[in-house]
Amino acid sequence: MNGLDAIGVRVEAALPAEAFGYTAAILREIESLLAGLVANGRAGRIDLRSLPLLPGDEERLAAVLGEGEVDADIQAMGATRVRETAVPGVWWVTHANADGQTVAEFIEVALVPEILKAHPEDVRAGRNILQERIADLIRGGETDG
Amino acid sequence: MADDRTLGEALAQRGISRRSFLKFCATMTSLLALPPGMAEVMAETLARTRRQSVIWLSFQECTGCTESLTRSHSPTLEGLMFEAISLDYHHTLQAASGTAAEAAREQAMKDNYGKYIVIVDGSIPLNAGGAYSTIAGRTNLDMLKETAAGAAAIISVGTCAAFGGLPHANPNPTGAVAVSDIIKDKPIVNVSGCPPIPVVITGVVAYFLTLGTLPELDAHGRPKVFFGDSIHDRCYRRPFYDQGKFAKTFDDEGARNGWCLYELGCKGPVTHNACATTKWNGGVSFPIESGHPCLGCSEPNFWDAGSFYQSLPTPTTSVTGAAAAAVVAGAAVGVAVGAVSRRRKSQAAKARAPLTVDDLK
Amino acid sequence: MSELEVLNWARGTGLKWALVIFLIGVVLRLVEMWLLGRKADLSVARASGAAAGWRTLFTRSIPTPGLIKTSALVFVGGYVFHIGLLIVLILFVPHIDLFRALLGFGWPGLPSPVIALVAILSMAALVALLAHRFMHPVRRFLSGFQDYFVWLVTFLPLLTGYLASHSPVVSYTSTLAAHILSVELLLVVFPFTKLMHALTFAVSRWYNGAIAGRKGVAV
Repeated sequence: MNGLDAIGVRVEAALPAEAFGYTAAILREIESLLAGLVANGRAGRIDLRSLPLLPGDEERLAAVLGEGEVDADIQAMGATRVRETAVPGVWWVTHANADGQTVAEFIEVALVPEILKAHPEDVRAGRNILQERIADLIRGGETDG
Repeated sequence: MADDRTLGEALAQRGISRRSFLKFCATMTSLLALPPGMAEVMAETLARTRRQSVIWLSFQECTGCTESLTRSHSPTLEGLMFEAISLDYHHTLQAASGTAAEAAREQAMKDNYGKYIVIVDGSIPLNAGGAYSTIAGRTNLDMLKETAAGAAAIISVGTCAAFGGLPHANPNPTGAVAVSDIIKDKPIVNVSGCPPIPVVITGVVAYFLTLGTLPELDAHGRPKVFFGDSIHDRCYRRPFYDQGKFAKTFDDEGARNGWCLYELGCKGPVTHNACATTKWNGGVSFPIESGHPCLGCSEPNFWDAGSFYQSLPTPTTSVTGAAAAAVVAGAAVGVAVGAVSRRRKSQAAKARAPLTVDDLK
Repeated sequence: MSELEVLNWARGTGLKWALVIFLIGVVLRLVEMWLLGRKADLSVARASGAAAGWRTLFTRSIPTPGLIKTSALVFVGGYVFHIGLLIVLILFVPHIDLFRALLGFGWPGLPSPVIALVAILSMAALVALLAHRFMHPVRRFLSGFQDYFVWLVTFLPLLTGYLASHSPVVSYTSTLAAHILSVELLLVVFPFTKLMHALTFAVSRWYNGAIAGRKGVAV
């Protein structure tokens, strides 16, 4: 950010590193959501911004959940990053706006996060898009040939 | 002209992807403290609805509320709110002017009677028959009453519309009043602040569009989700207040160390708003974080609550004149009472007769 | 009236009128007291009465022998409460802000947690003194409405003040308004109750010392 970090603000009260904060509670909630997913296929989501996280909670959470195989970048009016954690079915979704500022952050428990899926209506419209692109290809070939 | 497209169709035509809109709804859901799963519900619901007709009435205002909304941090993402609504009337933003603009308003009212949202910014003057603020030759009072009659809900944006604001401050020469002082029979949400935080405005509209009702309101008619906590209770400088570490001037050691601004006049303890959590300019900062005490701008009569730079324990008006007069008056009465008492004492002394044997019988 | 309007009234009109009544009352009573005067003492002075008066002002603070034995609670509790109240009143930073606004100058204060502790000790002393007054048969017999009323009017500012800084449930606006209103109540009843002792104790000590000193007795 533009020089705001240069403003010296010293916070005198600091938490000891051994404190667990709310990490344990969030992990238990993820556990129960995962159980729900396994039992009846019900997806769930935790809004990290709605929780009163203590300093270090997010880092601890990320450390416990780890990283998986999938790292997806979505460009939709700003970047959205979807990372699979080391726990299959648990995803970390970070939404940013066009200025790069994080506007929302979720832990999503699902087979695949909603935002990655294509919407059925878009797929229907997608058939037209494909047909147009095929038509362009043919037209391009005709002018060449 | 009525817009018959659904929001989904309008977005598609503008080349705004469904994922962008889902992201916007996810952000709104988080902001409104709704269950996270509501994001998809909000997206689906809004995509299928016809764009909500909104009539924005600007009365005795400085246009700061519109500026706050249109200068939101991310014009693309926040601006999606403008895609979800059909802003049929707005002095600053609409292309039409004069009679054409008024005609647009009347047409929108007719086409959507009972279903449009009215957003009001600015207070309504009542003195001189309302002549202090007129539009197209009609008083604000008239226009408000007429437009509100067919509204589904009214959102009073800014402290002026919500509580009277600056024009209402002592001595209130125009007789300015709030929207809720005039309209009594429609649901009204007060989104106060001078100006309000932009996402609060869009959040309330998004909530209404998705769920069809207004969010839970506090005693002043403000959405509790944004105005439930005081600045003081969520301020990151609170530990300094609790320890009694206060900045005494704007650039002393304490100020540079980020200490509490209570002594510099901060009204955070008595002000309810989302500044300390949602913050301004896309979560960059808020007045206290930038070193300036809270003005209390989302509360009624904050202009008359004493100086912005005098702390809460101090009097709102000067009392030295009255105190001096009281001392003089007390002295005068004391002298008078003392004189009367002395006279009674000396009279009693004079009237004293020595005790005789007869008195003892 | 919303809670914020009550607070702003207390900070403005309420404070002004409370101060006016307080000042009129106090000045009125002091002037009247002074005007009533004393009978002229026609005897020959053995020693300076005035000097003895000033000395007695301070020596009266020292307890007479046996006082601690007979009423230790009243002695200790009394001092804890009075000194505690004074510390809270003039060394709490928000109070110093008020004095600076009223008088034009301020002074350094103590850390807020220290003030909080002192306030609790003062309140504890007050409660102990009230209990003692009520349970001791002679003191209860001697106590009337004014004694209990004045106790309440003194306790409330301490209680509401502590709550204003430490109230997790009730809003700060309401507790601060309650605190300021309780102080205004104290100010308004001050000149017309035994609370005047805050000023007259000095007058009383001085005169007692002067009368005895003139006769050559060191009190």
